[in-house]
Amino acid sequence: MSTVSTAARRPIAPGRVVWHVVVIGVLLVLLYPVIWLVSTSFKPATEVISTLALLPRDPTGENYAEVFDGVGEFGVLHYFWNSLAISVGAVIGNVLSCSLAAYAFGRLHFRGRGPMFGFMMITIMLPQHVVLIPQYVIFQQMDMVNTFWPLVLPKFLATDAFFVFLMVQFIRSLPRELDEAATLDGCGPVGVFRHVILPLLRPALITTAIFTFIWTWNDFFSQLIYLNDPEKFTLPLALQLFIDQATQSAFGPMFAMSVLALLPIGLFFLAFQRFLVDGVATSGIKG
Amino acid sequence: MTQSVLSRPEVDAPPPPPTARGGRRRRGQGVAYLFLSPWIVGAALLTIGPMVASLYLSFTDYDLFEAPTWIGVENYVTMFTGDERFWHAAWTTTKYVLISVPLKLGLALAVAMLLNRARKGVGLYRSAFYAPSLLGASVSVALAWRAMFSTDGTVDRVLSSIGLDLGGWVDQPQYALLTLVALAAWQFGAPMVIFLAGLKQVPRELYEAAAIDGAGPARRFLSVTLPMLSPVILFNLVLETIHAFQAFTGAFVVSSGRGGPSDSTLLYPLYLYQRGFTDFRMGYASAMAWVLLAVVAILTALVFRSARRWVFYAGEDR
Amino acid sequence: MGRVSRRGAAGLLVGLLSLTAALSGCGAESADGPVTLRFVWWGNEDRAKATRAAVEEFQKRNPDIKVETEYSGYDAYFQKLSTQVAGGAGPDLLQLDRATVGEYAGRKVLADLGEHTGKDLELDKIPANLLEGGKVDGRQYAVAAGATTQMLIFDPTHFEAAGVTVPTAPGEKWTWAQFAEAMGKVGAAGQVAGTTDFGWAVDWFEVWLHQHGKSLYTPDGKLGFTADELAEYWAMIGTMRAGKGVSPAEVTTKMDGSVQNSGIVTRQAASEIGYDSAVTGYFGAFGPNLELAPLPSDVAESGMAAMPPVSFAVSQRSKHKAAAVKLLDFLVNDPEAGRLLGASRGVPPNEEIRAQVCSSAEGGSKAVCDYEVAQRDKIGPAFGAWPTGSSAIKRDFQRTYDDVIFNRVSVADAAKRVVQDAEQSLGS
Repeated sequence: MSTVSTAARRPIAPGRVVWHVVVIGVLLVLLYPVIWLVSTSFKPATEVISTLALLPRDPTGENYAEVFDGVGEFGVLHYFWNSLAISVGAVIGNVLSCSLAAYAFGRLHFRGRGPMFGFMMITIMLPQHVVLIPQYVIFQQMDMVNTFWPLVLPKFLATDAFFVFLMVQFIRSLPRELDEAATLDGCGPVGVFRHVILPLLRPALITTAIFTFIWTWNDFFSQLIYLNDPEKFTLPLALQLFIDQATQSAFGPMFAMSVLALLPIGLFFLAFQRFLVDGVATSGIKG
Repeated sequence: MTQSVLSRPEVDAPPPPPTARGGRRRRGQGVAYLFLSPWIVGAALLTIGPMVASLYLSFTDYDLFEAPTWIGVENYVTMFTGDERFWHAAWTTTKYVLISVPLKLGLALAVAMLLNRARKGVGLYRSAFYAPSLLGASVSVALAWRAMFSTDGTVDRVLSSIGLDLGGWVDQPQYALLTLVALAAWQFGAPMVIFLAGLKQVPRELYEAAAIDGAGPARRFLSVTLPMLSPVILFNLVLETIHAFQAFTGAFVVSSGRGGPSDSTLLYPLYLYQRGFTDFRMGYASAMAWVLLAVVAILTALVFRSARRWVFYAGEDR
Repeated sequence: MGRVSRRGAAGLLVGLLSLTAALSGCGAESADGPVTLRFVWWGNEDRAKATRAAVEEFQKRNPDIKVETEYSGYDAYFQKLSTQVAGGAGPDLLQLDRATVGEYAGRKVLADLGEHTGKDLELDKIPANLLEGGKVDGRQYAVAAGATTQMLIFDPTHFEAAGVTVPTAPGEKWTWAQFAEAMGKVGAAGQVAGTTDFGWAVDWFEVWLHQHGKSLYTPDGKLGFTADELAEYWAMIGTMRAGKGVSPAEVTTKMDGSVQNSGIVTRQAASEIGYDSAVTGYFGAFGPNLELAPLPSDVAESGMAAMPPVSFAVSQRSKHKAAAVKLLDFLVNDPEAGRLLGASRGVPPNEEIRAQVCSSAEGGSKAVCDYEVAQRDKIGPAFGAWPTGSSAIKRDFQRTYDDVIFNRVSVADAAKRVVQDAEQSLGS
């Protein structure tokens, strides 16, 4: 499947070595803060504040111990499942609803298409802080506060315009002849969507799924606002809330927490990045 | 597999002339709304309401807890005529957008080109370059940033060793904004992934043809890579610009929510947040949000308009 | 159909917003029977453990009241609190600090505790000067959850090295001139500044004003000082900065009142003005080799006051005010609760409980207890709660001071700007 064999044809070993050296060199510079962060998570509390040095003078695992301790009542695994449930729910919602909407915007003709598409783009541009309270009031009236619904339901209603836009661009780049052939075979719009568009859309769906998963997993803010009951807390919420950022001893655990939060999504990305790149690669994004 | 289905018609053969559009049928209308129904319900229930509410609130004095009182355009008038910090924040954000967006996209493109090879370990490298984006902006990132850019921090020491003694960037009003720019540029993972994808779409034949014509690497980049990549550049440019105008979390965590020193990192959304949630003036904050919306919408429209001149579509079928 | 429902949705929403706000007045008490309270605070794990243990005890004694507790970091706490209160889903019992008591009380979020005082809320054992801190317009909206006072915390090694003695014994005091001289000597002797520049925080300016018979805000919520007074104060610190008595601009601009960013803990200053409720934090981050001294004063008045580090308040919109007040009363007055809470919010406000907690205190807590005893005669009544708009003033004060220390504006102009901005913030 490696269709990309650009420079691979004439294997000149020295060139490859240079390439690896360059890439690793750039990586080291860029990952320096990440390395610093990871190494700081192994520093004892007083050292965290008093030195900026890269390596801990006196490495310790106490920060990690404290994080696991602090998570308290329900245990890390409980919060992990909550996070997973919300993220998976969000992925399913986005993949379904955004692809439906994108098909309508990208292929079908109906009254109000232009204005509706414009409105959708506008929704990306409004700062979230001013719609926060009205949105909260709505969920409050629907009695959904302190449930997972405010975090998952919007995804089933295609409110993530970014992904709709991504898929619209993708669908527009698909050759129309395929639809027309299917239409001649007697398929209606629903049939075209199911048998032609959806299979071809797969790479874009994977892209959406991966980005949705990572972003939902990392999203601290809406989880903070909508979840009250510690039993319903997600992993980032549980980790972050149990550590008061205003106290000195919290710094070490805070770094440990960042590393812990980074691990699952890092592994997730590592496992799926091949699909991610292929996904966007074939989506032929166009303006 | 799917890849060939998609790219062949665009690349190898000229596209067939557009046929009569098949979708313009009456029953298509109803079906279209059916497909759109989740989006319509979502927009009506969760999006339009709050947007209209915020527009309404922008004409009121609303302190979050007591009922809003209508004051007409007063918020807007105050903003434009009586609030120095508003203009200061607007200017700071403008600088931020102008520097960070090209830098981030440039870095993303450069690394994408570096990684656009079939070599051992490319997948691992890709993930490593994406790692900063996975971190997002958390308190620990803010602390890491302080460690990088404060006096005697890593950057200060490196710069001093080459004779550039600027001191710590985070603590000085004239450089602090650059630390936010650096933070944004550092998290270039998403546009990089999209650029990588775009680069894979560029047909190799074009490079080979250019090489036969005697074009060097620079020439090949300018006359093949850039034009073929222009749709992707447009996509990234639009989304990153919108994103940069809304940049909040980075500024919030790095400056502990204050936008200091001396307001040098007071980005527009941060000021909006302060107005709404620390000063309890949500009416004013809403007005600020609508001004930002108008500016970003106009800019986006202009970018799309200019795109007709510089964006090159292979297999265009308009 | 689309158009109608859109307008309907918008109308509904605006209606809802006004409704939730309007509902604030009618906090009808629900009938007896099992009730569920929500009690929220910010703070660290130690505070949480202590508080939950006390709540546990409360539930044991009141089986018909169930208490749900929630806590988080400071920023997250207030973000969530204001969203929930605005959305009509606020908690019943909440924790507030100096600036927010005024902001929330002024916007009618908090219940007037006056009607409960003497009935189901006992305030006799809490010093009257502490209770002042929870009063807005003469009404008791919040009750101190602890007690603290201003202090200078210092690292004696630097002062010994510079040959400077700090007045720590009961009754000893120093003037601003002696203070400036001492800090200058320490700054000249070592690599660290004498003290962290204290010009950025309104809190210490407030002490200076009280020494001059003024106050930050007048009792009716107006600004209590003039631009000239602020200019004089800042000019005094400016002289110290020139002689390395206080920290340089790059250090000062990072101050946010938190222990981990403080000049002492980051080893950039030998001393620092602060509240003594933070001492255990300093001990944890720096080590136990720190001592406490009073703030300087040129007059008989020390300007220092007994302050609530944080306060408890009951929501005006709570459906179970009686139960919430009962929990509040339990937290500040019950000996068992006092034992469980310890010094998790400063030394206990209730004097009997304080004596009991202090008798077994050690480390940082002991240092605070000793300091409170030593300064007892000098500590005046709490400054009143700050009025609405004070959060903005506090922030603008610091921002303008940034401009001063980076030499972007003269002290006189900066002071004028602070007063101008403040009057605007108070006017709204």
